[in-house]
Amino acid sequence: MEGIVLALFVCLILALITKRLSLPSIPFYILAGLLLGQSGLQLVASDSVSQFLTQLGLLFLLFFLGLEIKPDRIWHNQSRILQSGLIDLQINGLIGFLAAYALGFSLFDSVIVAAAFFISSTAMAVTSLIENKKLLMRESETIVWLMIFEDIVLIIFLAFIGTSTEHPLIILAKILVVLGMIIAITHYGKRYIISVLKRDDELPVLLTFSAVLGIAALAVSIGIPESFMVIAFGTILGTIDPIAFELHSRPFKDVFLVVFFVFFGISVDIFAGGVSIPAIIAVSLVAIGSKFLSGIAIGKVIHKSTFSGVEIWSNTIGRGEFSIAIAALYGSAAVSGTIAAMVIVTSIVGAFLAKYSQTMQNAMMKLKKVVPVTPVPAPAGEE
Amino acid sequence: MGLRSINLPGIGTKYELETEKNDLIAIFFLKSGNIQMYTLPHDTPKPSVVEFSPGEARRLGTILSGAIMEADRESVEIAFSALSDLRISVHTFVIRKKMAGHSLEDLQVRAKTGVTIIAVSRGDKNVINPPPDFVFQVGDAVVAIGETDQLKKFEREILVE
Repeated sequence: MEGIVLALFVCLILALITKRLSLPSIPFYILAGLLLGQSGLQLVASDSVSQFLTQLGLLFLLFFLGLEIKPDRIWHNQSRILQSGLIDLQINGLIGFLAAYALGFSLFDSVIVAAAFFISSTAMAVTSLIENKKLLMRESETIVWLMIFEDIVLIIFLAFIGTSTEHPLIILAKILVVLGMIIAITHYGKRYIISVLKRDDELPVLLTFSAVLGIAALAVSIGIPESFMVIAFGTILGTIDPIAFELHSRPFKDVFLVVFFVFFGISVDIFAGGVSIPAIIAVSLVAIGSKFLSGIAIGKVIHKSTFSGVEIWSNTIGRGEFSIAIAALYGSAAVSGTIAAMVIVTSIVGAFLAKYSQTMQNAMMKLKKVVPVTPVPAPAGEE
Repeated sequence: MGLRSINLPGIGTKYELETEKNDLIAIFFLKSGNIQMYTLPHDTPKPSVVEFSPGEARRLGTILSGAIMEADRESVEIAFSALSDLRISVHTFVIRKKMAGHSLEDLQVRAKTGVTIIAVSRGDKNVINPPPDFVFQVGDAVVAIGETDQLKKFEREILVE
């Protein structure tokens, strides 16, 4: 218990500092965890209480992701999502896999590293676009849809990578039955659920909290992937009243997610995995480089411009919450250490590059001595 | 002048407006509740940006709608486009010496100008729908409603000494 309190207060101080400097806070929570835990001073160790809170953080992160997914909207924009998304997936998935395999990871571990390598932090990309006031750039829409594509890949990944030994078709059948039940309940009980959500006593929060935990518990007890079920549950509830559910689950997500990040750092033993520090740093640099390649490729294909590619690159370098989630769910000790280091390096480097991307492009232009290109604002389609 | 809107997942709603002179204005209603406004003149490569709180955005909206606004006198014009373009202005005034000590009845505000005084704010107290025998004091802030011309008449003939 004292350990959790100590970790939380360290995170509180870090949050105050990073928000002030407008830096991403996730890498600093993990760094704090590394310092406090197994790899560092060994002041805090994870116990059953912290493990439970950590699990809540992960569940609410995934639930939030589900709430944000709007199937109809994705369907309408599928062509632009797919075009850039597939470039991103092929380049980063492949390079991530090869880098991990070259370091001597097993096939399964390499797939896990590749997934963590591929998925940029949606939270960091969105914050960077807003805080650096880049929303008008034509690349910003491309980046937003790219993040959506990555999230969808993550959901598919979570649905298929499981530790269950049952036949995949049986699992699929179970998933469909449970999803059917949830859809039926939310469809026929929609009015009642909305009336409960509108109350101003403890009911809406209690409903949201217990429903998310309930779905996770149900999934575990019948042997289907819980992370996938929680996301799907979020997506279905998002059709009822996404704003209310976001409002009522937000405090849980905010607090438990910080616990999740710091205890991920605490439980990682960065020196135990048999992966040397130079190798870990090399992976992080490759992670920055591979997003450069995919960014430039997407910029050239979608916007016919290398500068657009640099812009896309600088906003998608940071790996974050979902890479950590993958490591926490499936990673071995060595994989977790590598992914933790990669998240820390890429997110800090990414934050700086996103802030100075304009300066960087100007410098590039001077080098190339080209006439500055006028940024063409993105065309907005009718909704 | 085209107005387009699009929903950006995770960010919010974007409204984009191009003026006749090809200048571009884009407004983003962020999920945080704040509003970012980008303006990009057609001959400039870089947009300029401001971020508003919802309250600041409403004030800007009032100014843009053409209503006069100073620190102590604010006005809002409400247009009901469905009712053959009915336009009503709501304006605040601060009472000066000439009106002080008189009641609504003996000033005959509505009969003379057509303006209706719908609320009076005195110190930290508000009186909604003041009765005819309500007597004004210097410094009262009143909310008056009427057409723009009627409000101007009220300001010229009754309010000002």
